[in-house]
Amino acid sequence: MVEQALLLARVAFVVLLYLFVWRVVRLSVRDVRAPQESLILSPEAARAAGFDLGEPPAAAADEPGELVVRDSPVFPVGTRVVLDDEVVFGRSEDCEVVLAADATVSARHARVFERGGARYLEDLGSTNGTFVNGVQLAAERQLRPGDTVQIGATELVYGRSGR
Amino acid sequence: MIAALRTARNRELVNLVLVSLLVVTGFGAVFVARENAVESSSLSYAALFIALYLAAHVVLRLTLRNADPYLLPLAALLTAVGLIEIYRIDPELARDQGLWIVLGLVLFTAVVVAFRDVRRLEQLRYTCGVAAVILLAATAVLGTEVNGARLWIRAGGYQIQPGEFAKVLLVVFVAGYLRANREVLTHPARRLLGVGLPALRHLLPLLSMWGAALVLLVAVNDLGSSLLYFSILLAMVYLATGRWLYVGGGVAVFAVGALAAVQAAPHVQDRIDIWLDPWRTPQTTGYQIVQSLYSIADGGVFGTGFGRGFVLVGDRTVIPDAHTDFIFSVIATETGLAGAAGLLLVYLAFVYRGMKLASLADDGFTKLLAAGLSFALGFQAFVIVAGVTKLLPLTGITLPFVSYGGSSIVANFGLLALLLCVSNHVNRPAGT
Repeated sequence: MVEQALLLARVAFVVLLYLFVWRVVRLSVRDVRAPQESLILSPEAARAAGFDLGEPPAAAADEPGELVVRDSPVFPVGTRVVLDDEVVFGRSEDCEVVLAADATVSARHARVFERGGARYLEDLGSTNGTFVNGVQLAAERQLRPGDTVQIGATELVYGRSGR
Repeated sequence: MIAALRTARNRELVNLVLVSLLVVTGFGAVFVARENAVESSSLSYAALFIALYLAAHVVLRLTLRNADPYLLPLAALLTAVGLIEIYRIDPELARDQGLWIVLGLVLFTAVVVAFRDVRRLEQLRYTCGVAAVILLAATAVLGTEVNGARLWIRAGGYQIQPGEFAKVLLVVFVAGYLRANREVLTHPARRLLGVGLPALRHLLPLLSMWGAALVLLVAVNDLGSSLLYFSILLAMVYLATGRWLYVGGGVAVFAVGALAAVQAAPHVQDRIDIWLDPWRTPQTTGYQIVQSLYSIADGGVFGTGFGRGFVLVGDRTVIPDAHTDFIFSVIATETGLAGAAGLLLVYLAFVYRGMKLASLADDGFTKLLAAGLSFALGFQAFVIVAGVTKLLPLTGITLPFVSYGGSSIVANFGLLALLLCVSNHVNRPAGT
């Protein structure tokens, strides 16, 4: 009698333990299978699957974009920053655009880079943040013509050069 | 209606009920198997245990409504398995463990209430760093030596192991420090021999933490904690910067330090000799690890069942320190490969939940905090399980949540509370 009870307890213990593990694993499998939206689809595949990506970025490609200074304690208004593969903004001497006189700018503050014909802005962990149209950047973000970028006290407007 | 009931907290309750069934099964089995040795009143420890975790559940219902519904039950399950085996070894120890869980719950509640918004912790990062260093320094100066390592401070009849608390504080400090300096460490301004190196003033806190871990290794003879702190640092630096340079440099520094420690401290050399061949001295220095391996082998696939394993000889355990460092061997004896592997899966699930939180978190500090805390817990479990199975040299650290020990239980409740605060922040409804 006692032996049967102990055997039952042994089986019950292992079954309960694995039942519990299974509950967590089942959830994890769901996480892995969850649709990743368009992040892993190419733009064409995403459009074919019915996702609305706005205007195709292909139209914006190939022309080097530029940022035009609208207001800055460092540069005169109207200064053009031509964007090549990657441009880093910051107070440090080795940045492409040096904003040394502005104490609210971090050593390496933000960067603009090219990917797939579109241009993206990314904050490099700056102390005071980088803003696009008044909204602080949390992740990298694609720039669209007319966007206002604020780094420290400097405001720049994104556009395509040659217009 | 049904959907409305499927909240995070209700899920948590279902999981806790499952754990409660497990506790009842385990305590019942031990009681039946050791009827002549165990008093029936000791069964109330199981009831106390269940009541404590239900209390923690109520705390979460009141404070962190959106917290992850799996972390608390996972911790409860680990504590439950530990408690059943501790009860099996000595019911009085199980009562004490119950008291440590009460203290842990007090800290848990305090942390949950104080840091509901976990980002507030970021301002306290230097306080946490200094507190961690003070705790470790105090151990080195005031500590008493047990088995060749100086881990304990005696105070009023109790022993405190400050290293366990330092572990959690260290993760908070490193998360805050890396968040502030991530940028200069990842995109350094200077280059030396073609390798980007940040300025010394940015590296200094990092280097001094590494130095402290090494000093700890040599001064306190605590190979396990030193390895643990070092790995936490490396893992978090790699998570923050994605640069192998720091990992490679760190491993090289640690290797040199470990070699120096082997030369300087005979204790460390002994540990390594035992690890390489415990059967050369099976009755003396190799005794503990040899008995551990026999016990694990004895368990087979399904184990001997609770209360039926060859764990006690008279009043003494076959493996010295069976209730703390070697609890995994006892679990493997009585629940077999099935139970021991299940336990490791539970750790894996815990770390998975933590890493998932880290990937969902939206700011650098909480990301690093969640990843660092879950890495610390998982790696600690790895080091001690590897130690008792002779995969790595044995180092005296506890199996988190499972081993008997007040400092370990209380500190890990603090860790759990922080992870839950992070998860509440991550899972908050949009727009709040």
